[in-house]
Amino acid sequence: MRLALAIASFVVLLVHGAVFYKQFFHKWENYQTGYFDQARTLAKTPAEKAALDARQPRVEQFIVTSFGDTRVDRCGTCHMAMDDPRFDKHAQPMRTHSYSAALGDGQVNGKWERRHKFADFGCTVCHDGQGRGLQAHYSHGEDHYWPDPLAGYVVQANWRKEFQPKLKGKEYMESNCAQCHTEEGFSGTTHVDRGRKLFFSNNCYGCHRIEGLSDGTQGPDLTEVGKKFKLDYLMESIVDPRANLATSFMPKFNLSDADVKDMVIFLKSRRGVNFAETSLQRYRAVLNAKRPADEAAKEPVLQGAALISQGEKLVTDRACTACHKLGARDGGVAPDLSFEGLLKEEAWVEEHFKNPRLSISDSIMPAFRFADADFKAMTAYLVSLKTAPAMTNGAESYKALCLRCHGEKGDGHGPIAWYLDPYPRDLTKAGFINSKSMERLTSSIKNGVAGTSMPAWGRTLNDTQAQAVLQYVFDTYTKEKRREVKPQKAPDKNPVAMSAESVSRGEAAFINRCAGCHGRKADGKGPNSPDILPRPRNLRNTAFVESVSDRRLFESILYGVQGSAMPSWIDYGLSQNDVGDLVNFVRSINQKSPVRSANARGN
Amino acid sequence: MSETTKAPTLWSSIREMPANVWHSVFRNPLPSDDYGRSSTSFTNFFLHIHPVKVNRNTLRPIYTLGLGLMSFFLFLILVVTGVLLMFYYVPSTTQAYDRMLDLRGTVAFGTFLRNMHRWSAHGMVGVVFLHMCRVFLTGSYKKPREFNWVLGVGLFLLTLFLSFTGYLLPWDQLAFWAITVGTAIAGYAPVIGQEVRFLLLGDATVGQEALLRFYVLHVAVLPLAMTLLIVLHFWRIRKDGGLSRPVEADEAETPAAPVTVSVRAVQMAKDKIYGLQGFVRGPFTKVGNTPDKTVYAWPNLIIAELFVFVLTLAVILTLSLLYDAPLEEPVSVLHPPNPAKAPWYFLGLQEMVSYSAFWGGVGIPTVFVILLLIAPYVDRAQKGVGKWFSRERLLANTIFLSFVITNIIFVIIGTFFRGANWEFVSPWK
Repeated sequence: MRLALAIASFVVLLVHGAVFYKQFFHKWENYQTGYFDQARTLAKTPAEKAALDARQPRVEQFIVTSFGDTRVDRCGTCHMAMDDPRFDKHAQPMRTHSYSAALGDGQVNGKWERRHKFADFGCTVCHDGQGRGLQAHYSHGEDHYWPDPLAGYVVQANWRKEFQPKLKGKEYMESNCAQCHTEEGFSGTTHVDRGRKLFFSNNCYGCHRIEGLSDGTQGPDLTEVGKKFKLDYLMESIVDPRANLATSFMPKFNLSDADVKDMVIFLKSRRGVNFAETSLQRYRAVLNAKRPADEAAKEPVLQGAALISQGEKLVTDRACTACHKLGARDGGVAPDLSFEGLLKEEAWVEEHFKNPRLSISDSIMPAFRFADADFKAMTAYLVSLKTAPAMTNGAESYKALCLRCHGEKGDGHGPIAWYLDPYPRDLTKAGFINSKSMERLTSSIKNGVAGTSMPAWGRTLNDTQAQAVLQYVFDTYTKEKRREVKPQKAPDKNPVAMSAESVSRGEAAFINRCAGCHGRKADGKGPNSPDILPRPRNLRNTAFVESVSDRRLFESILYGVQGSAMPSWIDYGLSQNDVGDLVNFVRSINQKSPVRSANARGN
Repeated sequence: MSETTKAPTLWSSIREMPANVWHSVFRNPLPSDDYGRSSTSFTNFFLHIHPVKVNRNTLRPIYTLGLGLMSFFLFLILVVTGVLLMFYYVPSTTQAYDRMLDLRGTVAFGTFLRNMHRWSAHGMVGVVFLHMCRVFLTGSYKKPREFNWVLGVGLFLLTLFLSFTGYLLPWDQLAFWAITVGTAIAGYAPVIGQEVRFLLLGDATVGQEALLRFYVLHVAVLPLAMTLLIVLHFWRIRKDGGLSRPVEADEAETPAAPVTVSVRAVQMAKDKIYGLQGFVRGPFTKVGNTPDKTVYAWPNLIIAELFVFVLTLAVILTLSLLYDAPLEEPVSVLHPPNPAKAPWYFLGLQEMVSYSAFWGGVGIPTVFVILLLIAPYVDRAQKGVGKWFSRERLLANTIFLSFVITNIIFVIIGTFFRGANWEFVSPWK
């Protein structure tokens, strides 16, 4: 017992020794005494030497109150020589902070004078990092919990490896310059400026809101994104939008490394603060923003060719091709607009601009808040595009019209397929293709499929060309020999009358049988849906549901859909009357807004 | 000393002052005989909580494992380090985190103090729980120690609550979201849940009011309650006849003439003067001078206690030297970590909450606490007291252990096997 006591006491003593050693031998004291020694050799007058002799190591700090919350910057405790021009050749931490005319520093009486004095600004306003720390690991923000490591100098160990070298460079500090220098075109913030331009030219503004710049609602508000997220997260969100959120529908844009860097710098500068603006100015700005726009400054109403060329300018300026294809420019995200006039009516296009989800219920296109006149002009331009691409045979037609969605292999994984909902049809699934009549397939090509991104090609392809494309699909992708499609036994008209009772019976059956795939909300997003291709149909896609006859609904439910996960429910005990209830239920949930159905029928 | 009759001179007063001061404070010299050992325990304020003689069974390390004392010493370490930390801490949402950074960077021994406080707090939760297990598994909660068991359950709950209130104070992401989750669990209680939550937080969400409330609870209310309960707990140990032990431990080694001690019904006679002992009820530690299995508390018990103290201190100091207490990002209310986890000792609850909010968060814990409280009044057989895992107590021990192991499994699952969206993840990946 006594021996154990002695051992334990010895451990206590040892730990005390270690703790005291750590407490009384700081690295920063070594740096300071080193600085004093060197400064003494450089000293010119005895008075200067004596002053240095009298100095003892101590914590040096700037307390900065002018920039938001009070900052306590103790960086000078190690970086003793930052304001001492004699140390400009030394290694860190003992190097002079550089003087530069670009930062506004100037010569006064042959001596450099700083524009941004350390006593006024501290260090972390520009550099980030953790001002209070006295160990490099913490104060430089290498600790992965610290939100802002030294901008452009320090990357944190848990950041994505391939991003780490890209996130270094002095230009990242510009995001802090922009906290005060908010004006566009300021010479010190060229990367922020370029990032801001990219924000518009890549149509980020369509989905994202940044206070004072844009008011998109589709994606997250980016007003304070620089405060909330670190550089690596911002970069990841741009180059790999689905890395953090698997269900994100943000497109992966075609951006060069330099573009990404500038956008990251721009986003990092969005901290929801503006040190150059007083709270009164801010209040006024908000107040003025709420006032209705001046109606007096109305533009003259344009007509004809002028309207079309105005539309072309707007379509170009507003970066529609950040997503869409238009002639040679291709955003790689959204459908081809190069011959929109052959595919869509004027009313459809204009309505689609204002509310994209009215006609295609799962479209990811943002609803822009442009002026009505602008929409008119853009619509006029788009419907004026009526030149079909040159195509001489089925293969060429497929390549020109179908490939972007249905893919090179015809399997529905075209370059833009990921952004389309419903997903493009897999043309290699013979089970599906061969179970559908020629009339239905031809009609899908010529009239399109309502509520989906499949347009009506009737005015682009004549009957022979349409047949040729279909034949090409059969020969190249479906491959299996076509069989004769036998008509299935199903009523043309729902025999069960629409009534509240029928709908509630249908709803009960739906929750019971269908919700696993189609979801409790019937939006096609049931718990099983992510594993299924083709995806379960969104039954709240009114345009689609209204375009489908009772007979087709009965056939799909009773006998299933071949080449998809939809089983034949007649085998699972659903009678014709049960299906009638289900059909009534599905019809009933698509009857909420008469405007919507009127519009959908108009196609 | 008193053989001289000479009046003390100034010089002799000065010369004898150190010795006089010493003897006025410590009345007994270091004891060399049994009388001295007795009076040392008896006359020293800090020692007189001990009996003069203790049963040898009490000193068996394997019987108590020193867990109760360890809990107490951890509490002492927590009080000392906690008071020191209070000199630097400000319970304000704008300052608390900065103060943490200062503790880490600038304050002398700041990191070390915080580490000690943190690891002692975690350690105390664990050790108090183990102490409870020891008491149950040795059947020590039985008559006459039923109420002391109830006090012990109260102390366990206080320990959890103290640790929980302290968790918020650093005001980092870990603290903020752990308390958000923890208080949400409280909110699942029926009828009063939301009220209790509001009372704790002083607001609809964790914020300045919650920080202030948790601070006051943590540094004043709960430690005072804890001290009171500890005092009662210790006092009851003495009054309940010392630590529990098997019946054999009290049997004399050599049978002596039976000493009948029965003072339960003292007839008060008018013309008789009673000593204080005449009123004392209950079993005596020792009366008479028959050979038995007791030893003097000084030095046997004292040195054992000292060892437990030094051992506890050594472990906490070493841990504090090797591992730094976590300090995560500053609070960001709109940016919850995924998953947001409660403190580890509540992760069993959180895991159960993921199956059923009411039963996991409120129902089962309440039932468990009630079962603990009534255990000594339900399980009243006097067999198997004072032995680990005794045969006679197989049923009770099995029930208790299955509860304990289930909770431990849930804590382990919650701590290591739960990732984003509380989905199952493997910690080895």
